[in-house]
Amino acid sequence: MSDPRARLTLGIAAIALALYALFFAGDYALHVLTRAGIYAIAAIGYQLIFGRLGALSLAQGCFFGLGAYAAGLGALELGLGFPMTLAAGILLPSLLAAFIAIPVLRLASHYFALATLGIAQLALLVATNWTAVTGGANGLFGIPPIEIGAISLGHGLPLTILVWACVGLALSISHRMTAGKRGLAVETLREAPLAAATLGIDGAAIRFRFFVASAALGGLAGALQAHAIGVVSPDVLQFHVLVLILAMTVIGGRASPVGAVLGALLLVHLPEWFRDFADYYLVVYGAALLAAIIFLPRGLAGLFGQSKMPPVETADAEAPRDPAPLTLSVETVSKRFGGVTALDGVSLTLAPGEILGLIGPNGSGKTTLVNLLSGIEKPDGGRILLGDADITGRPPEYIARSGLCRSFQHPQIAPDLTVLESVEAVTTEGERADARVTEVGLSDGANEKAGTLPPAALKHLEIARALAAGASILALDEPAAGMNEVERTELSTLLKRLADAGHGILLIDHAMDFLLPLADRVICLSAGQVVAEGTPADVARDPAAISAYFGESPL
Amino acid sequence: MSTIALTQILLNGLALGAAYALIALGFVIVLNAAGAVNFAQGELVMAGGFAAIALAPLIGEATALPGLFLLPLVMGLMGLVGAGFAWLAYFPVRKRHQVAVFVSTIAAGLVLQHLANALFGAAPRAGPPLITGDSLSIGAFSVSLQQIAVMVCAALLISGTGLFLGRTQTGRRMRAVAQDPEMAAAIGIRPKRMITLSFALAIALAGAAGLLLSNQFFVSPNDGGLFMLKAYIAVTIGGWGRLDGAVIGALLIGIFETLVAALASYLVAEALLYAVLLVMLVFRPSGLLPERARARV
Repeated sequence: MSDPRARLTLGIAAIALALYALFFAGDYALHVLTRAGIYAIAAIGYQLIFGRLGALSLAQGCFFGLGAYAAGLGALELGLGFPMTLAAGILLPSLLAAFIAIPVLRLASHYFALATLGIAQLALLVATNWTAVTGGANGLFGIPPIEIGAISLGHGLPLTILVWACVGLALSISHRMTAGKRGLAVETLREAPLAAATLGIDGAAIRFRFFVASAALGGLAGALQAHAIGVVSPDVLQFHVLVLILAMTVIGGRASPVGAVLGALLLVHLPEWFRDFADYYLVVYGAALLAAIIFLPRGLAGLFGQSKMPPVETADAEAPRDPAPLTLSVETVSKRFGGVTALDGVSLTLAPGEILGLIGPNGSGKTTLVNLLSGIEKPDGGRILLGDADITGRPPEYIARSGLCRSFQHPQIAPDLTVLESVEAVTTEGERADARVTEVGLSDGANEKAGTLPPAALKHLEIARALAAGASILALDEPAAGMNEVERTELSTLLKRLADAGHGILLIDHAMDFLLPLADRVICLSAGQVVAEGTPADVARDPAAISAYFGESPL
Repeated sequence: MSTIALTQILLNGLALGAAYALIALGFVIVLNAAGAVNFAQGELVMAGGFAAIALAPLIGEATALPGLFLLPLVMGLMGLVGAGFAWLAYFPVRKRHQVAVFVSTIAAGLVLQHLANALFGAAPRAGPPLITGDSLSIGAFSVSLQQIAVMVCAALLISGTGLFLGRTQTGRRMRAVAQDPEMAAAIGIRPKRMITLSFALAIALAGAAGLLLSNQFFVSPNDGGLFMLKAYIAVTIGGWGRLDGAVIGALLIGIFETLVAALASYLVAEALLYAVLLVMLVFRPSGLLPERARARV
């Protein structure tokens, strides 16, 4: 949105819409425009959870309906006035979302969809059958139109203006939650959740915030709808409401709030334009949704080009700061998977400025150890200390913020972010993304999309991210895999320099001509146990290491 | 409650569960082949029911077994629909996020639902019975021939599917593609063909379920969502990706629903089912039985 051309287009579109509403729209056209605005609010909310985080919540229709019921009941039963009914409409679904968020948000995607659908079905059953309160299948009638003081905003232009003011509010909330660095972190969380966690992004907190915000905006839309048409029936909780909001989000564009508004305008007006299709209108609507998901992966917003971060000059990047010196101590750590013991009483220390090589055959527990260090798995026994702090069993984002970050055997990246954006997403206070990008030698490709980078550059990107996230200790899982001779030499130089600056580096690799000259010490794992430890030369001659791993001494 | 009444209820529940099992089985077959949830599975059940109603005049009133004659016809037709479904709603979004497949199948379901609405109207319609004739009475206990036929057909189809996937070369190839499409392609199996076949089989089973349910429970264009939910829940109970688990889960749901509906009401049965599901997801977030299908990351 920082793109001036996009801003101009948006401004012109907004003015055109306002002119249409003020001078050309009749009563009915205004009514349709109001409805479009109401759904746009719900779609902007839905975009936060579905579009930004990629979680298929099937409860957005439910939040919309609950907002409508809360506002309706607030007005009819509690005698609440206008602003309070809106507050009730926002509050009820937000509370429900906050209540269910903790158990539901940790579910894998297919169970998350099912759980949210189950909740929506329960809400529908309650609304249909708790006749004493909800009016049952007939619903609630005679919800008063909106009045502020003596001014009625119940119909026509005033209502349209009020609703579209709320659309503006929703847009600004969505913008605040997804603009700049926050948006980059959210993109990283969606595309590479493991990497996000091990780089210090608190995914649980972001998911919670976005889920509750989506519910709040859904509820606001529902409350406005209740006032606008004066009736609330169980129909507002039916699956088709969700499908409509989903379709608006998909057709408009997954990540563009303006796209969601476009989608809402389009889908609310379509039935008016397609009257001739009569019964088949809804078939066309389904087909349009299918066509949109197939042919417009970025939705209508994708047609107008993507908003871009301005390219950043990296030449003037200042020298990066040195890390706080930290010692990593692993004390008799064990991990079992079912009956398999992956790690059995492993101990090691890694001093600041030291490069510790970790070798061993496939399945010997190297990656498991990195998973334990970075908090992705919890150890069954033993302790892990970072300086004096016990980080055993702590969540990955806590460990990352304490100063230990890792890379992955298969790089975990958000392909649509540029190199610089990928690093910016995880930068902590006092760090500069451009400095770190320059440091790992990626400044020439800083504005390339991460998804287009060759494998060697991705490994460097992962290191830049870890540094920007404030890592003192780096745990690198096979960083040289697939690299040629030249690339390995570059990586060696970089790692040497980082160690000299005070970083402790735990280095897993199978390329001995790369690892042995680089490492200060080497540990050899076999079947989850340390079988040899010492200088590279010692370990290379160690009979236990030779029989477990080398086959014959590499020296 | 008397023993006879209880037996009667269990039998009803088993017949309902058997039909659900066909739906759930198809759901898992697509899940394993495509790695994604088919949200249109319920609409495809409904489509099978309407296919039976539309084809019924071909068989005529003469025979005493209208539904049994229709069954292979409906399954064949729905198998073709399934192959088309794969090419329209799955392959174009195959390389994208799982969520894209969710959405494309929701859209395909929507098209089917509204097409049925436009062609047949919203009112529920009764499908042809599998067998015409009265109930069998043994003392005070009576079983309708229709229910027996439903159970027998479902049992035959379920075991037939099991044998096909387990014992035939084609079935093994389909499972190989489901487990690892790249490896399967490397040893000369064509993944696209096998995935298309999986969709065809899964949707033929959904169509069969539609026919089996259409006489006793009627067909209406808007029931699809409920069938899909039942299959989804059955697969969650039975262990994500397990064929045997899906069948067991579906039978449990059928019996649970019938029993609670008899003791309280259908409404309570439905609400309790969702509540049990949510409680289960809170305490066992990875399903009741161990999962077999893993998300492809």
